[in-house]
Amino acid sequence: MQKINRNVVLALLSLTSLVFLLFQLCYYKFYLSQKNGAAFSKVRGSQSGQDSTRWHVVRKFLGLLSSHNIPVYLIDPLILGLVDKDIEQIRSSPDGPSPECKYFCAPRDFTTFALLDKTWKHEVGLFRTAEKMGFQWLKIINKDPRLDGMDDLSGMEIPLHYIFKLASHAIHLVVFYERSGNFLWHGPLRLKQHMDRKFVPFRKLHFGRYPGAYEKPELLLVSIDDLKVQIPKNPSSFLQEMSHSRFLECRYREARAFFQLYPDDASLDAVEFRKKAKSLLHLAALTLNNLGVKFWLSSGTCLGWYRQCNVIPHSKDVDLGIFIREYKADIIPAFQKAGLPLKHKFGKVEDSLELSFQGEDDVKLDIFFFYEEDDHIWNGGTQAKSGKKFKYLFPKFTLCWTEFVELKVHVPCETLQYVEANYGPEWKVPVKTWDWKSSPSNVQDNGVWPVDEWDDVIQIY
Amino acid sequence: MDEWKPNPAVKPHKKRSWYLAWKYKLMNQRALRKLCQTGAVLFLLVTVIVNIKLILDTRRAAYEEEEESAQDYDDEMLNVEVPRHPVNNKKVLDVEVYSSRSKVYVAVDGTTVLEDEAREQGRGIHVIVLNQATGHVMAKRVFDTYSPHEDEAMVLFLNMVARGRILIFTIKDEGSFHLKETAKNVLKSLGSQVASFLSWRDMWTFVGKKGGEVYGEKHAKSPALSTWGDPVLLKTEVHLTSVEDAECHWPDTELNRRRKRFCSKVEGYGSVCSCKDPTPIEFNPDPLKDNKVFDVPVAVIAGNRPNYLYRMLRSLLSAQGVNPQMITVFIDGYYEEPMDVVELFGLSGIQHTPISIKNARVSQHYKASLTATFNLFPDAKFAVVLEEDLDISVDFFSFLSQSIHLLEEDESLYCISAWNDQGYEHTAEDPSLLYRVETMPGLGWVLRKSLYKDELEPKWPTPEKLWDWDMWMRMPEQRKGRECIIPDISRSYHFGIVGLNMNGYFHEAYFKKHKFNTVPNVQLKNVESLRKDNYETEIHRLLGEAEVLDHSKNPCEDSFVPDTEGRVYVMFIRMEQEADFTTWTQLAKCLHIWDLDVRGNHKGLWRLFRKKNHFLVVGVPASPYSSKKPSSVTPIFMEPPAKEEGAVAVPAVAAAEQT
Repeated sequence: MQKINRNVVLALLSLTSLVFLLFQLCYYKFYLSQKNGAAFSKVRGSQSGQDSTRWHVVRKFLGLLSSHNIPVYLIDPLILGLVDKDIEQIRSSPDGPSPECKYFCAPRDFTTFALLDKTWKHEVGLFRTAEKMGFQWLKIINKDPRLDGMDDLSGMEIPLHYIFKLASHAIHLVVFYERSGNFLWHGPLRLKQHMDRKFVPFRKLHFGRYPGAYEKPELLLVSIDDLKVQIPKNPSSFLQEMSHSRFLECRYREARAFFQLYPDDASLDAVEFRKKAKSLLHLAALTLNNLGVKFWLSSGTCLGWYRQCNVIPHSKDVDLGIFIREYKADIIPAFQKAGLPLKHKFGKVEDSLELSFQGEDDVKLDIFFFYEEDDHIWNGGTQAKSGKKFKYLFPKFTLCWTEFVELKVHVPCETLQYVEANYGPEWKVPVKTWDWKSSPSNVQDNGVWPVDEWDDVIQIY
Repeated sequence: MDEWKPNPAVKPHKKRSWYLAWKYKLMNQRALRKLCQTGAVLFLLVTVIVNIKLILDTRRAAYEEEEESAQDYDDEMLNVEVPRHPVNNKKVLDVEVYSSRSKVYVAVDGTTVLEDEAREQGRGIHVIVLNQATGHVMAKRVFDTYSPHEDEAMVLFLNMVARGRILIFTIKDEGSFHLKETAKNVLKSLGSQVASFLSWRDMWTFVGKKGGEVYGEKHAKSPALSTWGDPVLLKTEVHLTSVEDAECHWPDTELNRRRKRFCSKVEGYGSVCSCKDPTPIEFNPDPLKDNKVFDVPVAVIAGNRPNYLYRMLRSLLSAQGVNPQMITVFIDGYYEEPMDVVELFGLSGIQHTPISIKNARVSQHYKASLTATFNLFPDAKFAVVLEEDLDISVDFFSFLSQSIHLLEEDESLYCISAWNDQGYEHTAEDPSLLYRVETMPGLGWVLRKSLYKDELEPKWPTPEKLWDWDMWMRMPEQRKGRECIIPDISRSYHFGIVGLNMNGYFHEAYFKKHKFNTVPNVQLKNVESLRKDNYETEIHRLLGEAEVLDHSKNPCEDSFVPDTEGRVYVMFIRMEQEADFTTWTQLAKCLHIWDLDVRGNHKGLWRLFRKKNHFLVVGVPASPYSSKKPSSVTPIFMEPPAKEEGAVAVPAVAAAEQT
């Protein structure tokens, strides 16, 4: 009895084992081979050692593009990080053979390159050649944001990202477009429903979670790991830029809806004011950018951007925000040099600083300095005749790029909270009479300046 | 508690007995075999466990990946799958065709593909072309064969349709009055029994395959001149062929794939879809040396005239120095066929939801197109604006390349235009000559970005204002005294006959005889003298050398200008103040040039050619050049004829045309 039992058990187990073995084989064939062994190696946790696959894939990819005369440049943050450390050496010996594979051999799932849209012709031939070389490729297209602001135009969708995959390595090619603020823009990576979600682990990509805005980079042709490749001339500043590159598109659709409700003011005065506000903003941006001071659209100007993607014609001034830690004493002379005399200065660097410059024909440029606290950010206001101080509270925010009146400028990424803090939940309704001391929903009384400080904290020219 | 205590004691006992049993078995003869067996069992168990773990692990990894990639990277707007057209496996199409005095319709498989019951419209023979493999409508035309020449257009069209296509004909109202023998023979050759004796107010429907079988024909004779034939309804079945049979077998290239896509969708473009010898769709004209307009975006403004667009793009893409990447076609409305044409040539096209009506619609379309152009090409300082009904001269870009720096440097310039309003066959002569004029001709022109962005865009007429954009641009508030540069011989040709402000008569009278440059690489000769001050010097020099014509003769007569060549002549007409164009208009009329409003003037001076001589007309005393008039000469005055009816209305319509 016991013997028979044991034999039966043994036979059963052998059978199960055989089934499992077969199953395992099938599984390997259908699932893992499809993933080109990428997942397999990950499970095993083999992250060490050199990986020449990557180098070969990159070399093939660069060959493919140069055979089609398509200039790309390397924007892979990990490689650029390494390159940046050796930048002097790389610059000085652009052609030297490298003794070891230092950059392109670290095993990674991706290498990221950038392509300027206008430098290639969207030839289909590229993809045919790529296929012949064994690449699988994926194209991510979407609406053209440059037409988004336009009433009812529908163009062809434009390619935003390409992914070329060969063996276990993928090349992420980010397509950059020129935008009207004289900057480069790349789109977000969004998969459409029918797309292969497992083509690559999308989440690990360095670009594409958000759209991004960049300056046009100067490029440098270098030879690293025996591969000739273009890189941004200054990798560290590129990486710096990359970490703050998130771009917000204006809400054009909502703006159109707004104008349906409240038709735009097309009077000559409005046209004139917008023109002046635009040129004032351009001048202010130029001045502050030259000083390296980061600023953002604040108050009415920010509301105009958020609500109607334009300058609010009855707002009468241009408002900017600057963190007080960015304050520089040069700001005032720089504006004066640019032809914008100081109109008034309220507060002091330690408290409630606010500058106001006189633009052309009564258009004023107001600069508010923002003070960061643990759980909020605030800026101050001062009433000239009474010396009363006010405090405007905002929830904490970070800065994003956007395009506004043909300019690349910052706005708070959390724009809605910012605008709501300032203008309350009814911000969608235009208000023509606005009292900066009482209308904002985030205003607080903040005492009175001591009389002996008045000369310093209330300066009117 | 007490009961529980003995329990621990049991275990060692059991273990011990196990151990003893095992020890006993070991002493057994088959002990070794059993050991192996047990080992095998254990090993198998371990394998199974490891396997299960492996599977679970990979599963989880895969699942996590899926999760990861699913978040964030999903398209926010849940793209509703576009319902795809059901694959039509049906081999037979039911076709219904109706012909009557006031209504025609065609239904294919129950879907109405043509329905026209509008009054006073759609008279004549309606033709529909179906793809013989898919049953899709490839072309829809109506030829008003009650009127002259329309039958010729129909013959032309039918000849262009590829063999094997299914043709459907139906008459609305009247279609035989000007249906000539040739056309009737073509219809007969398609298999129609009735065509040859089709007569006044007959109703007729016909379905047949080009170069093949006839699927049905019905005819109702008109009993009397004053009445129409009874309505006829033809119901028939059409057998579809396979897709392979319906397509040509061109070599598989990128270009031919575009061609294939185009040719399986639309009809009526002739040799571009010819199987044997298709006309090229890529032109590769010679590049221009030192091309200054290579990076200038070109906006082609189009409506729903795909055949025009096709002709226009062909000429544009054949012009030397063209850069197809900079071309964007803006289509006013969601029309498919113009977009098909754009894609055939591999260009980019943008569709525009129509806003407003008539002229305002055109105007809004222009605004959207210009704004979009400067958005798409933020680096551009200029944009070339073209329309879909223009032929583009082979040296169009060469002309612009040589003159564009003026627009950049000379603030007193408003535009560069390829069109000379007064440049007719008999009044234009010199392809290398340029003028400055106070009027904006349009019809192929260059716009400066700063002008558009700073001045025009912010105050562009709003949709409710039914203004013509070009008339608006010509208003003094916009033009501010600035001028345009134009060539003597136009670099564009306006071939459109159908349009908002256009008809055949009008085209014949004002556009047909316009001169159009066909010489490549013309070297412009007086570019620098086109600058504001230089131009005055140039004019004074010209007037200085000009011979004064005999003012006693009739300026309308040919003999007014001597039979010479290459001379410069001047005549003086009366022009009391700046806006007095009475005599000029009369002169323009008798010279058969543009007389519907004043064009081509520069400070009261007009420049054109007569009998190959440069011919200057100066308005005295309004023009600053009046001082050149010898005191003995009396300026010619021509009186307008007594006002006829409608004489005022025509210019208003006509002036609007130059859009």
